[in-house]
Amino acid sequence: MEGGTRNNMRRQVDMSFSSVLTRSDISAAPITLAKLQNPVKQGFDNLGGDLKKIHRSLNDFSKALDKRFKDKPLPTVNQDALDHELIKRAIGMHFLREGEFEVASAFADDVKKQNGRDNILSPHLVKAFKEMYGILEAMKAKNLKPALAWARQHSASLEARGSDLAFEISRLQFVWLFMGDLPRSLSKALVYARQEFGGFQSRYQQEIHELAAAMAFSPNLADSPYKRIFYNENAWEELGQSFTKEFCSLLGLSADSPMYIAVTAGAIALPVLQKYQSIMQLKRTEWTTEDELPVEIPLPRNYRFHSIFVCPVSKEQTTDENPPMMMPCGHVVAKESLDMISKSIRFKCPYCPSESKPADARRVII
Amino acid sequence: MAEDFITTKLNPDNHLLLEQPLIRLHYELSRKNFKSVQKQVEHDRGQILSTLKTVANAALSGSQDPFQALATVESMINRLEALGQKLQAVQENEKRLQAKSRQRIKHLGELYTMQSLIDVKYEEWSRTRLDRLLVDYLVRHGFGNTAKELVKRKDLEGLTDVDVFEECYKIELNLKTGTGLTEALSWCIEHKALMKKERGNNALEFHLRLQQFIELVRKRKLIEAKAHMQKHLAPQTEMYQQEVFEATGLFAYPPTTRTEPYVNLFSTERWNFLSQLFVKTHHELFAIPEYPLLQVALWGGLVALKTPTCHSANNSRITSSRSAMVTVCPICSTELNDLAKGIPYAHHSKSFVENSPVVLPNGRVYGRERLRASLAKIGVAPGLIRDPITGDVYVESQLKPIYFP
Repeated sequence: MEGGTRNNMRRQVDMSFSSVLTRSDISAAPITLAKLQNPVKQGFDNLGGDLKKIHRSLNDFSKALDKRFKDKPLPTVNQDALDHELIKRAIGMHFLREGEFEVASAFADDVKKQNGRDNILSPHLVKAFKEMYGILEAMKAKNLKPALAWARQHSASLEARGSDLAFEISRLQFVWLFMGDLPRSLSKALVYARQEFGGFQSRYQQEIHELAAAMAFSPNLADSPYKRIFYNENAWEELGQSFTKEFCSLLGLSADSPMYIAVTAGAIALPVLQKYQSIMQLKRTEWTTEDELPVEIPLPRNYRFHSIFVCPVSKEQTTDENPPMMMPCGHVVAKESLDMISKSIRFKCPYCPSESKPADARRVII
Repeated sequence: MAEDFITTKLNPDNHLLLEQPLIRLHYELSRKNFKSVQKQVEHDRGQILSTLKTVANAALSGSQDPFQALATVESMINRLEALGQKLQAVQENEKRLQAKSRQRIKHLGELYTMQSLIDVKYEEWSRTRLDRLLVDYLVRHGFGNTAKELVKRKDLEGLTDVDVFEECYKIELNLKTGTGLTEALSWCIEHKALMKKERGNNALEFHLRLQQFIELVRKRKLIEAKAHMQKHLAPQTEMYQQEVFEATGLFAYPPTTRTEPYVNLFSTERWNFLSQLFVKTHHELFAIPEYPLLQVALWGGLVALKTPTCHSANNSRITSSRSAMVTVCPICSTELNDLAKGIPYAHHSKSFVENSPVVLPNGRVYGRERLRASLAKIGVAPGLIRDPITGDVYVESQLKPIYFP
């Protein structure tokens, strides 16, 4: 827009001036100069017109923004509630578990430069996640050996967890020997099965039988009832996910980045928090952050990680201080509610006719 | 289930709550470009037209030396050239801003093509959002290299504004260390046209000028200090009466004084104050939220996810990793556990417990079917029960049904 006007103006001015400069007869100069005034003014006027257009579209933009975002302030957060050192630590761990080692090490350098502190990344975790991504990389290249080696090395912890990982890796290895390499090698797969599946016999009898039965359908597996095992497009990805989950669990870490889950949940929660805050402001009540948030935030089910017990008597969630108590009839109430209803030696359960003594109630852990 | 439908429904408009700065910043930058061009054009227009008129009239009346006229004409050409270059530079910048804005609007528009919060597409989108928020947080806290590395790795150039924040952070840091006065002042002058014409909006400029005055007094350059005071501070007396009054008093006290408020004025604490005032002014001007949005979102997530169990004595992440039955909760995970300590837990009005719960003699509660399936997997003999978390072993008849009304 601006460019066009600018070039026009320049051309006119240049033309006029060159006519002045090239003529040896300078008597024409006054006329040329006088004539020049109008085009120059015209040029500036055009430029002004262009600017007006820009101004108008900026205004439209501004109005559109106001329309979209009006009356939507962000919830104000008590910033002291979050410790920056801890946020930084969480960010460092997030980069590691996402496999962004270069970003992570740039981060460690930046943090060190700023406060001279030692490495914000735990060397133990750096090593662990490098191992994890090394194994995942190999998996992407359809190489399961590192994964198998890892699963063997940690077989005791994995078995105690009731993890299926070791079997899942071996099964995919079997399927891959059978399906992946050309020419397909039934014999190789069978040798592998004989070597590896022995240890899985007791726990995965059913699955191993399936694999064995499937062999009978070869080479028409695609039409067999076992198609899903041998033609699962997502098998590698799924194995990668369960490997990541098991690997993180052994480190005591959640399978997906907590930073990701929390920020996503936060974005879902913010409208509710913001609405609540504006209501509180209207009522001129302070946002009191006590132990429990005063407003309920609906989150999808996969954001629930713990059982919650809300005492039907007090409508309060149970906590360490006010734990769930089970009466002999099997019904549960919060301890404070129990103390309230069990003033006498014997009391009746609020939910069924059975009577019990306060001492018979037992603390349970949900 | 109806409840699941409600909780997983994606409301794109609600999601825009966090995105205002993503779009607004570029609007403000465009406004800045426009204002600076407008000012320049107005100024040059006046100058050139009047010079041209003078020169033409003088030429007509024959009262001017032709060589001088030529020189004037040349200076006009130079001025127009300079204007042209400025317009071109702004235009380039504007093109870049608009391309970025388009990319951002497209990115936000993607939200309107998704219906569910458990959609894989939403998950991808949300990961990009997290990366954006991380870049913003990092660069605002002075971790520019990390931010740039992340932008490079995730191809976030169009969705982030590292340059804007780096410039801001540089001035912030220099002010903090007492070396950024001139720099901050030229920033003020450059952005003067953008500031809303309200009382007190020039607080930053005033305090920077005041600091210049204090530094002159500190160096005992009293004559210069006096001139500076008359030129820059005295005209602001109406607005900053108290400050100007106190500043005048500085003439009578050496930098080693123990008298208030002069101790304060000489104090190096003022650099922190100035640097904070600068950041505040900068962010207000460009519609940037006071705190990085990562903190806001993170806080929201912590309060939404936290349960009383997350910091309970009966729950430790080591025990919870012992069984594949238990998914490690993000708040229990090391990354966020300490961070969430001082934060309230989420409010729930409904219980959420496992199906057909049973209680073990040690008081721990599990869903009967899930427990059984998981025990079969570990190869626990039928008829025996092993607590997946504590490892205590019982016989099945010791399991008791439990009811959560």
